[in-house]
Amino acid sequence: MPDIPTFDIAIIGGGPAGLTAGLYAGRGGLRAAVVEKLMPGGLVANTERIDNYPGFPEGISGYDLAQRMQAQAAKFGAQFVSDEAAAIAIEPKSFLVRLSSKAQLRAKALVIASGAYPRTLGVPGEKELLGKGVSYCAVCDGAFFKNQDVAVVGGGDSAVQEAVYLAGLCSTVTVVHRRSSLRAAESLQRVAFRNGKISFSWNRTVVAIEGGTQVEGLRVMDKETMKEEVLPVSGVFIYVGYHPNSAVVKDLVQLDENGYIVTDENLMTSAPGIFAAGDVRRKLVRQISGAVGDAATAAVAAQQYIENL
Amino acid sequence: MPLLKDEDQKYLRAEFARKLTGPVKIVFFTQAQDCMFCQPTEQIIRELLPLSDKLSLETHAFAPGSEEATRYGIDKIPAIVLVGAKDYGVRFYGIPAGFEFSTLVADIIDVSRGETSFSPEARDKVRAIAKPVDIQVFVSPTCPYCPPAVRLAHMAAIENGLVTAAMVESTEFPHLAHQYNVAGVPRTIFNGTVSLEGAAPEALFIEKLLEAAR
Ligand SMILES: Cc1cc2nc3c(=O)[nH]c(=O)nc-3n(C[C@H](O)[C@H](O)[C@H](O)COP(=O)(O)OP(=O)(O)OC[C@H]3O[C@@H](n4cnc5c(N)ncnc54)[C@H](O)[C@@H]3O)c2cc1C
Repeated sequence: MPDIPTFDIAIIGGGPAGLTAGLYAGRGGLRAAVVEKLMPGGLVANTERIDNYPGFPEGISGYDLAQRMQAQAAKFGAQFVSDEAAAIAIEPKSFLVRLSSKAQLRAKALVIASGAYPRTLGVPGEKELLGKGVSYCAVCDGAFFKNQDVAVVGGGDSAVQEAVYLAGLCSTVTVVHRRSSLRAAESLQRVAFRNGKISFSWNRTVVAIEGGTQVEGLRVMDKETMKEEVLPVSGVFIYVGYHPNSAVVKDLVQLDENGYIVTDENLMTSAPGIFAAGDVRRKLVRQISGAVGDAATAAVAAQQYIENL
Repeated sequence: MPLLKDEDQKYLRAEFARKLTGPVKIVFFTQAQDCMFCQPTEQIIRELLPLSDKLSLETHAFAPGSEEATRYGIDKIPAIVLVGAKDYGVRFYGIPAGFEFSTLVADIIDVSRGETSFSPEARDKVRAIAKPVDIQVFVSPTCPYCPPAVRLAHMAAIENGLVTAAMVESTEFPHLAHQYNVAGVPRTIFNGTVSLEGAAPEALFIEKLLEAAR
């Protein structure tokens, strides 16, 4: 058995929170590992344009922002481990992280920055037509629907933002929302309302996604009249919220009823030495600026914890 | 304008110096005209080349059915073949830009070393495959979930001579995307029949690969 690589801090997740924790830990002189199962950047990397991250008045593409964050973390010495944290064991004064590749690493403190993954609608056709018109990533798949009619399900920031992106490619975009007004930020709403290609289907719930080898329509129901209709679209982009990626620590730390990690004001979880930052944590606002702020606190608090060990 | 910033170059140079063991020949099929992504693909390769003396380039003007195209089984361009100690069957069709650039870099390292980061169980299963399997992984450059899917396919090719694997940039080859009914990426197609949706974990990928090899 080769020696298990040992770090001061292991950071689980390489989104904005994880990359920022890596930056702070590295700058603080700690040996930090950032474990990321996909691509550094997290959800940000699949966002076309970010307009509310301070310092970029013209906006910045999610891909660019992710790359810059990664470069900055690397500059201060954070090490990237391209793997998935599969299990965590608590040892005296350290943690053992088992990775999906069966490799392991050990650290004195952990920062859980594993974010969240898109929630599904759970309607017939959704699973069957995934990749055949059903998508959770407009920047990945939008190009397949050039000059076609698509629907976006949801009414929050992500839904409206991605509807605007898709309107740049597609003939028409219908936003299907179960309420009569959007939850998205005012400024986003204004952009969407002004866009001639975007229309809104209010008070509708999705009943099913229809089609054989490809999506052919979205069956929706009017919540007041209970009448159903089928929107003839070839793409359905779903943005209806998120589930936290907290499975890896579910038996170690306290979670709230929705699976989000509960922390104290220094972002320590119920398990001493395990900190949480970003979207995976119980909180009101899930945005990049918040994830980044969390991570700074968590990394510094983790450093103090290590120094007091 | 160079694509790679100074600090990226520095990082890659160090990465290659540390990890490349054997030479890697980048065989590039291109065409002067009527190929929108050939020139930008060439630029990516040309910027990589000086970052390690283990890298070399062999460029061919693409002619369907020509000796070289036949030898490497190339039927569309731009096409990149990575040749290490041998031709492992690692191909890129279309530009390896955006997120796929990281795939190209990781593949160069694996091809140079002739080894992959499969878990030991996965590696044993891939090596035991006794029938040819051709893998196509459909991607788009803006898809953050795509590189892991391409990497798994290319790693399988490196581990077993009977497996060949290609990245296919969907928007450049719409007829292929259409043929396989691809409207979302990543999509992995084994031997044109078995299909895998999304960025799958290693175990699921192996399961599908073995299904295709049965
Ligand atoms: C379409 C869309 C548009 C958005 N637009 C904006 C915007 O304009 N402005 C804004 O401020 N915010 C926006 N957001 C929200 C923003 O993306 C998130 O708040 C932010 O990404 C949270 O960062 P994070 O680091 O906490 O989590 P994430 O970005 O989710 O990153 C978590 C990372 O952890 C990895 N991971 C998970 N589990 C494991 C494991 N077990 N092992 C290893 N790695 C693991 C994941 O692969 C992921 O990369 C948007 C989100 C979406 C989806």
